[in-house]
Amino acid sequence: MKILIADDSRVMRQIVIRTLRQAGHGGHDIVEAENGRQALEMVTSEAPDLVLSDWNMPEMNGIDCLQALRAAGSDVAFGFVTSEGSEEMRQRASSAGAAFLIAKPFTPEAFDDALRSIA
Amino acid sequence: MNVLTFFDPSSADLETPDPEDVRMLTEDVWLALLGEDEVLLPRLVPPGSPFDAAGVWSATVTVTGGWQGVVTVELDEDVARQLTGTMLDIPGTETVADGDVADAVGELVNMVGGNVKSLMPGPSTLSLPAVAAGRAAFPSDVTEACRLDLAWRGAPVRVSVHIPQ
Repeated sequence: MKILIADDSRVMRQIVIRTLRQAGHGGHDIVEAENGRQALEMVTSEAPDLVLSDWNMPEMNGIDCLQALRAAGSDVAFGFVTSEGSEEMRQRASSAGAAFLIAKPFTPEAFDDALRSIA
Repeated sequence: MNVLTFFDPSSADLETPDPEDVRMLTEDVWLALLGEDEVLLPRLVPPGSPFDAAGVWSATVTVTGGWQGVVTVELDEDVARQLTGTMLDIPGTETVADGDVADAVGELVNMVGGNVKSLMPGPSTLSLPAVAAGRAAFPSDVTEACRLDLAWRGAPVRVSVHIPQ
């Protein structure tokens, strides 16, 4: 599986990659984007199977990226990894077509459960 | 860092977050980032005291909407560099670049601020983090609603929440 990780924080992208490995999902191809706009472009150029995206990013945030993807007809699996895990945010994510929302701080088990849910 | 706010106090709930909730969520974030043995201990500091580390990194996020507030994290310089090294899996702190420290401290306040936002009335919006080398200075139109003075390996860490006056 190819996974696109979108986060403006390089540190957080590294932590997500490490946590995927700890969750037993270290064998996937990983590509990285620094914001939602870049992620939007890379869904076309890289054809990932899954997008793991931060919510709050410069240039284009995660929810706008997801809505643009769905408006363009993309059905790529999309999950949020965000510090905002309230019910309101989860409902917004789900309504826009996200498969899951992993709240920070997270555990490897949260990633394992999320990836299994889309398998 | 001079913290700038653009609050409209007339339109927001002025509820104050429970300090115990802020302490618990800060500990959860800290343990998740640094490891389960890396405990934050309470630290007695007189009210009104500025953050007293010799070298400081500070970071803020602002929440606007149904609830308005500024969440700030201030860290001793060595704490900030060790946090960054751990988050990036870099041994030691000598090779940690300032840009990476800014990135790591920004992510820390983003996580604490996002969790504070989730405790409070919404809907509201979380800003991107603002990070600086130096302690935070707050404008006169906000008041301190909650402050945690903590220590990690003997070095100071502060988390504070300010709301409109």
